[in-house]
Amino acid sequence: MTILAAKIRVEKLSAWYGTKLAIEDINLELEEHAVSGIIGPSGCGKSTLIRCLNRMHETIPKARVEGKVHLDQDDIYELPAVSVRRRIGMVFQKPNPFPTMSIYDNVAAGLRLNGERDRDKLDAAVLASLKQAALWDEVKDSLDKSGASLSGGQQQRLCIARALAVKPEVVLMDEPCSALDPIATAKIEDLIFDLKKDYTVVIVTHNMQQAARVAETTAFMYLGHVIEVGATRELFERPKETLTESYITGRFG
Amino acid sequence: MPQAAERKALQKGLQKLNENMVTLAELSELAIRKAIDSLTRLDGEVAREVFTIDQEVYGLQLEIEHTCVDLIALHAPVARDLRTITTSLKITTDLDRIGRYAKDLGELTLQFSPSTRGTEPELTRIREMADRTIQMVDTAIDAFVKHDAESVRDIMHVDDAVDRMHDENFNELVRRMTEGSLKIETGARYILVNRYLERIADHAVNIGMRVVYMVTGDWLPRERAADRAKRNPK
Repeated sequence: MTILAAKIRVEKLSAWYGTKLAIEDINLELEEHAVSGIIGPSGCGKSTLIRCLNRMHETIPKARVEGKVHLDQDDIYELPAVSVRRRIGMVFQKPNPFPTMSIYDNVAAGLRLNGERDRDKLDAAVLASLKQAALWDEVKDSLDKSGASLSGGQQQRLCIARALAVKPEVVLMDEPCSALDPIATAKIEDLIFDLKKDYTVVIVTHNMQQAARVAETTAFMYLGHVIEVGATRELFERPKETLTESYITGRFG
Repeated sequence: MPQAAERKALQKGLQKLNENMVTLAELSELAIRKAIDSLTRLDGEVAREVFTIDQEVYGLQLEIEHTCVDLIALHAPVARDLRTITTSLKITTDLDRIGRYAKDLGELTLQFSPSTRGTEPELTRIREMADRTIQMVDTAIDAFVKHDAESVRDIMHVDDAVDRMHDENFNELVRRMTEGSLKIETGARYILVNRYLERIADHAVNIGMRVVYMVTGDWLPRERAADRAKRNPK
């Protein structure tokens, strides 16, 4: 398929845990200002793939990567890992706010780590990020409360706000709704829909209906390979590959 | 989008859907055959059987619609499963319409009397057109049952032939009414018979096009017969 403007271009990417090959020879383009979904059965390598996109994979002992990941024109493996993670943020499966920090400090943490001390700037960034994460109205009167005091869905939006505060270009989401109820899930999905105006979003999900709802393009992975990539509607209505059809129709699970 | 454990329930639902669709298709086809039989033999008994079949077609259509809605709501089907369900939903309307035209033909039968039933030229032409139309419905239904897209890819061309028969019959009926060799009442009713058969053939085309989508995921373009003729001059 043709991508109008690729924000991320993955070329011949393979990744290992020790001697175990987790993903092999992945070529993939992820469109700018769009939501790309990655689906596939457990263990197919989808989380490994997105962890390679912001150099999280290499933080695991004995893990290694081969191949290239371009963010615009830059090869991310030739940049400092910290600057890559600033440009490519990540939201995890389980909401993980810093438990001892207030809501405010959770959102400001990344900025402070980057050396920002100006209170006005921090205030403005916290406000903007919480608004973008659709959490502001619910927490504006309790910014000094612990992040851990929020509900699961609110905590996940807090984590999204924290990721957005450092103004990344790309937001990676690894099953962001798997621990949430349908109402909290719907809020996050609405949020993802709004986020693509300003960010490039990549979402790994077990929930195929979620991919169908939020992603413009979807990639199906199986046993460490990308089997099929296409417009989400096409992939779910008339997949080209038999493997994709078998997986999405539940003929193997 | 079902997971493996859910698949059994979906499979069972799809099987039930398929069985009901086959029955519905058979009933619709039976309705036209009986309608034509009642019309050409002027048999009121057979015409009334058509009315009963039409009622059954309607009831079964509703049941199929409910099954489809349940399957969509409960299993969020995708790919081939989704195409089968949406195609079934659309085709039931065509089959119901075919049943309705058969009923209309049955009602016309009851309106004819031996003195107004028309003569052999009309009956022969109607039988010929009915044979073609029933053949089209049969092909379309068979394609649905066997998931065979190839056998219906050309169904539009057969429909072109039925359309031509329709035009010729119409002109002939008007000509004979004008010259006075056919009663206006009889001619007008035959114009309706002619029209109903032509519409049934159109529904067979719809079914054929839907079957191609169901099997392959491709939409056949809808094209005017005149444009088709220009593209494929005989």
